[in-house]
Amino acid sequence: MSKIEIKNFNLYYGNFHALKDISISIEEKRITAMIGPSGCGKSTLLRSINRINDTIEGVKTEGEVNIEGVNIYNDNVDVDFLRRNVGMVFQRPNPFPISIYENVAFGLRVNRIASSKEIIDETVEKSLKSVLLWDNMKDKLHKSALTLTLEQQQRLCIARGIAVAPHIILLDEPCSSLDPVATREIEELMIRLKDDYTIVIVTHNMQQAARISQDTAFMLLGKLIEFSKTDKIFTNPSKKETDDYVSGRFG
Amino acid sequence: MRKSLDYIIETIIFICGMLSIIFVVLIFSFLLKEGLSFFKDFSFIKFITNQFWYPNSKIPSFGILPLICGSVLVTLGACLIAVPIGVMTALFISEIAPKGVRDILKSLVELMAAIPSVVIGFVGMVTIVPVVKNIFNLPTGLSAFSGSIMLGFMAVPTIVTISEDAIRSVPGQYKEGALALGATKWQTLRRIVLKAAMPGIIAAIMLGIGRVIGETMAVMMITGNAAHVPHSIFDPIRTMTSTIAAEMGETVRGGMHYKSLFAIGLVLFLITFIVNFIADLFLGKNKNL
Amino acid sequence: MKNLVYCFIVFVPLFFTCAHDNKAKTNSIQIKGSDTIINLIQVLAENFVQSHQNLNISVTGGGSGTGFASLINKTCNIAMSSREIGEEEVVLAKQNNVEPIGFKVGLDGLVVIVNKNNPVSKLTLAELRNIFMAKITNWKEVGGQDKTIVVLSRESNSGTHMFFKERVIRNNDINSSDEFTIHSLMMSSSQAVYDEVLQNPNALGYVGMGFVNNKIKGISVSLDKNNKYVYPTADTIIDSSYPISRPLYLYTDGKPKGLVEIFIDYVLSNEGQKVVIDTDFIPLKKNY
Repeated sequence: MSKIEIKNFNLYYGNFHALKDISISIEEKRITAMIGPSGCGKSTLLRSINRINDTIEGVKTEGEVNIEGVNIYNDNVDVDFLRRNVGMVFQRPNPFPISIYENVAFGLRVNRIASSKEIIDETVEKSLKSVLLWDNMKDKLHKSALTLTLEQQQRLCIARGIAVAPHIILLDEPCSSLDPVATREIEELMIRLKDDYTIVIVTHNMQQAARISQDTAFMLLGKLIEFSKTDKIFTNPSKKETDDYVSGRFG
Repeated sequence: MRKSLDYIIETIIFICGMLSIIFVVLIFSFLLKEGLSFFKDFSFIKFITNQFWYPNSKIPSFGILPLICGSVLVTLGACLIAVPIGVMTALFISEIAPKGVRDILKSLVELMAAIPSVVIGFVGMVTIVPVVKNIFNLPTGLSAFSGSIMLGFMAVPTIVTISEDAIRSVPGQYKEGALALGATKWQTLRRIVLKAAMPGIIAAIMLGIGRVIGETMAVMMITGNAAHVPHSIFDPIRTMTSTIAAEMGETVRGGMHYKSLFAIGLVLFLITFIVNFIADLFLGKNKNL
Repeated sequence: MKNLVYCFIVFVPLFFTCAHDNKAKTNSIQIKGSDTIINLIQVLAENFVQSHQNLNISVTGGGSGTGFASLINKTCNIAMSSREIGEEEVVLAKQNNVEPIGFKVGLDGLVVIVNKNNPVSKLTLAELRNIFMAKITNWKEVGGQDKTIVVLSRESNSGTHMFFKERVIRNNDINSSDEFTIHSLMMSSSQAVYDEVLQNPNALGYVGMGFVNNKIKGISVSLDKNNKYVYPTADTIIDSSYPISRPLYLYTDGKPKGLVEIFIDYVLSNEGQKVVIDTDFIPLKKNY
């Protein structure tokens, strides 16, 4: 069974039809990339998977997004619980203006996953280790997260997502504000995390998609044009639009 | 041509800037001159520790301890009322209320700020004072408590408008980040939005306190103006500002009483300065976290 | 910087003085002072102006102290006052070459008022004194209910406050330095005293005759337990049997001359004294 199964999904911002009849199945413990020109709806689709779009006024949806067989748009779904299980990393690193330690502990506290100091300490350490921040940061845990470099901030955001033990991690162009070296580092981190999590990444960088993902979805004007193994999308796409885009003729 | 226009505009802006500085300096030096000349004849320590304010007696007694206590008590009371209400309202307006309600509430709050304090004082005198008297079974409703309610009411618009700006300017990505971690709306507001907006909210509270401490007319009408050291918030009190306002018109220019009122102004200035200074320290500390 | 401060301090008052000198040369009388009698003097001035063309009388309040201060600064021709001029003010006047001369123009009784529901209706001067000095703090000590007395006074520099202090609290003893209790509520106007008494059965205050009506209760006062309790009326004030009454004054700089003299004569005339009665004050003599 697929981890995430989206069926005939439509989304409207007011009168604007942003996602048109999307159907896609995303497999467990792989990296799935979503590519396409700006405004094609790839971020919107990603943000539908943890219902963070709900916070925007005037959003309407039709169709289903099933995670492990449950439609998350059902009325009886606990949205806060859903979001705890589906972590998200945003385009711009957005650590909270509190200490590094508290950033990671935040998810644990609000979800009442842990309250004893030992367990929180332990989880903070484990999460920071998995994003390779621990060695540098273990003495600066109580400094403001805003003092970190952008790359470190993005790692911290990933760490704080991991801390609440989600099954799925959504990444929305996580490297767009980072330099090439930092981008490389984050990519390696994602490849390592793939063994434990189902990862969906939106990127405008086709090389990045080619480097790290196993599956790739190509979107255009709110429609899913083609979804297939990454190798196939980049070497032998079956649709003309995909071919035009990946070979750089537009976009 | 364009250069000379540039020069003229720059000069005008410079003059305007200098003028406001000069006015502040002039006012302050006048206050200092009149106030300090009072302390040549009367000890400062006695001035702020003596319990009796009888400026018109044959042997006058200038003790402003009751006035300081009165001002502090009524200000604290007003803050206890205005700060929670103000910040909650700001949160409600900026984060919770649907758009229609928000617009109505915002303009209502702004309207509230535009009501002259005398009017608020008068309305308070005929509404709050008897109610307070009856509810708490007091000898009179003219008390620090009534004053606190009234002043709290006057500080709310300031606190709401400025904290609402601060809350609204918290980057949306903080909120999205918190929600994406499974925080509820209220957890997000309390733990992230309020925290990020804290410097702005504190500034709003300081401005609110400024309005409360400086308020004269409404206080004069409601607090009873008894110059004694209050034992509870339900006692009548007299504030420094209302003393200045009530007595300045009748004093002999240049006399001791006249100078003592300037000295009160100086003490008031000192107190607001200290409060602002502490707030600055607090804000600075918050930034370096 | 220092020069600037001096310029400011010197020129601003100079400017105002000049402006006033110019005004005084035209046919105008400036009257300033006690808020107690401002209504009375206003009516007198309006009547007077009707029979004197090209004359302009401006009447402004601010309190007796303000009136004297303006007379001393020579920014008014007549000061209205509800008390006699003070020693300090006389000294200041001399320094400024001003010689204040006072004219009694009427009488005012201060009435001690309580709420209609208060059973107490008569007090001796000594009891009043003890209440206003917080030696008596409960109504039951003077025959009322077991309730705390809420003592209402006026601001310490109003003429009403000073008169009440000298007459009741100091009992006309110029060597006394007794004061109102610090627990007394200093109300900013007689209206405020009246309003509080109207809605508070525990309150006790003092106001001018003009404020007394049947919504509140005036207290009859006696010199001591052995004397008769006298209710304040025009008659009892003119014959001095009611103890808390005071003269009202107009003060001029030196002997009045010209229009000022004519105006004061008018105030003291039968016609003027009728106005005194009409505005709820007491004339100097009976039978006007």
